[in-house]
Amino acid sequence: MRNAAILGYGAVPVGIYQRVKDGCDPPLEHELAVKVALDAARMAGIDKTDVNGVVVAHPGDHTKQGYFHTFLTAYLGLTSNSTVVQVLGNGMTAGLAFDEAIRLVRTGESDCVLVIAAHFESGTATADHLDYSIRLTGDVDFQSIFGAVPISWYAMAARRYMHEHNVSRAQIAEIAVKNRRQACLNPLAQFRTPITLEEVLSQRMIVEPLGLLEVPGRADGAAALVVTSEDFARSSGKPHVLVRSRGYFHEGEHQIADRHVDMTAYKSIQVASAAALDQAALTLDDISVFQIYAPCTIVEVAATESLGLFPRGKGWAAAADGRSAFDGTRPVNTSGGHLSRGHPPEATPLYDVVEACLQVLGRAGKRQVAGAEIGMTVSELGNYNAAIVHLLEGRP
Amino acid sequence: MNGDEHHLPILRRKGVRPFPPRVSSFTRPFWEQLGEGRLTSTICNRCSRLTFPPKPVCRGCWSDDIAWRDIAPDGVLYSFTRVHVVPRAFLNDALYEIGIVDLSAGIRLMCRMVGDFDLFVPDMPVSMVVLMYDDGPLFGAQPKGRLTTP
Repeated sequence: MRNAAILGYGAVPVGIYQRVKDGCDPPLEHELAVKVALDAARMAGIDKTDVNGVVVAHPGDHTKQGYFHTFLTAYLGLTSNSTVVQVLGNGMTAGLAFDEAIRLVRTGESDCVLVIAAHFESGTATADHLDYSIRLTGDVDFQSIFGAVPISWYAMAARRYMHEHNVSRAQIAEIAVKNRRQACLNPLAQFRTPITLEEVLSQRMIVEPLGLLEVPGRADGAAALVVTSEDFARSSGKPHVLVRSRGYFHEGEHQIADRHVDMTAYKSIQVASAAALDQAALTLDDISVFQIYAPCTIVEVAATESLGLFPRGKGWAAAADGRSAFDGTRPVNTSGGHLSRGHPPEATPLYDVVEACLQVLGRAGKRQVAGAEIGMTVSELGNYNAAIVHLLEGRP
Repeated sequence: MNGDEHHLPILRRKGVRPFPPRVSSFTRPFWEQLGEGRLTSTICNRCSRLTFPPKPVCRGCWSDDIAWRDIAPDGVLYSFTRVHVVPRAFLNDALYEIGIVDLSAGIRLMCRMVGDFDLFVPDMPVSMVVLMYDDGPLFGAQPKGRLTTP
């Protein structure tokens, strides 16, 4: 099998694009998708004849244009003798799109693949969006019937975690403050005004015990990657990022098990990260920076503990004392994460890959992790029912 | 049928269910039994695995030799939340509370919570109740020992 590399990337700042505002015509989803694709292609120094595969993250229900992958391929005037495909995998969607591009390269079916994710949802009112999303994160006939919105599962994880580990909401909320500090240094971030712990705790409740700044805001976004073979990337002479390994695990549940198990011990991230590290013959100590799918404060706590970065019950403390900040010993979500960089769900994992690239190529500016060489990205589906992990090494 | 220890209190609710479940020929016994105050699910005749929600095949061993069982309605509250930002379908229900319940039968399920939210704590004993709307039943849980009004 050949190795795959990232030779180019592009992203627009996460924000509200789709919602119609007075005196401002909103962009169309494919207009931003094409912009980030060309940004990635120009960085890679490729032209359209080099691309023979297109993988598109399936956009959510609120992107009007359907069959987005073939539409975009035609819009960009591309042909393909490899594959043109749209990938869907809940919150993991863009992570799987990236993974599919890697697979096309590794198997030799493609030398150069364009990966594109565009998520537009802000034109849909939150209550209507939730009518759709409760059907995604539960059994529609036995769980959605009670109005279990997606983040309500994380809220219940938070409540349980607080009870088991004798931790307060304020302690978990340190994650939001830490990540906002990092987002303030990220031009791609949706929220760039510093916040204090007191401000986080004084917001209105969304799903108790989580308030407005402990859950992700509504967001649109678009990001793209050019994924090539290692040889292709080397011969370009340009800086690139080598994909060292991947790991995947699905625990066989949808949101919660039907029996008594620990809801905040994410087995999927334990198994998937161990597989990725093993494949690359690396340990956690070899990883310079971690981009971890974490829509709510509690999820970063539980995921980093499950990964083995911090002891059980103590993940929050790493945010409070700065260990999980970009200038700490275990930098996590240096972009500002879902809470502050922003969370356009079907595109989010590509934003995390972009952040990993920026870090391992030494291009992350004021939030640069000193000497970053290898980054880990993790995306998940459901209540961490599954996780996909990639290890990415900079070749600046 | 078992004795009264498996009978759930039936609490009347005004109006219709906000996001009603579909009923298939397979799930119809569950909803009909629930309407009569019984929580039921399926158990595998081959490997004895009890599951929830009821399923026409065993997820443990893929046998389709399954049977219906009454489930004792007592358990503990694993966790809970109050939902403040709600789907349009639930606007008339807001605010509402949901919880994850671990039943003594070995089953975990999610349901509507009934009772004083401020008194809920993880691991508190709860028992299942029927919430009877104009168009049919849902299931819920409430702190154990709480007096219920039919």
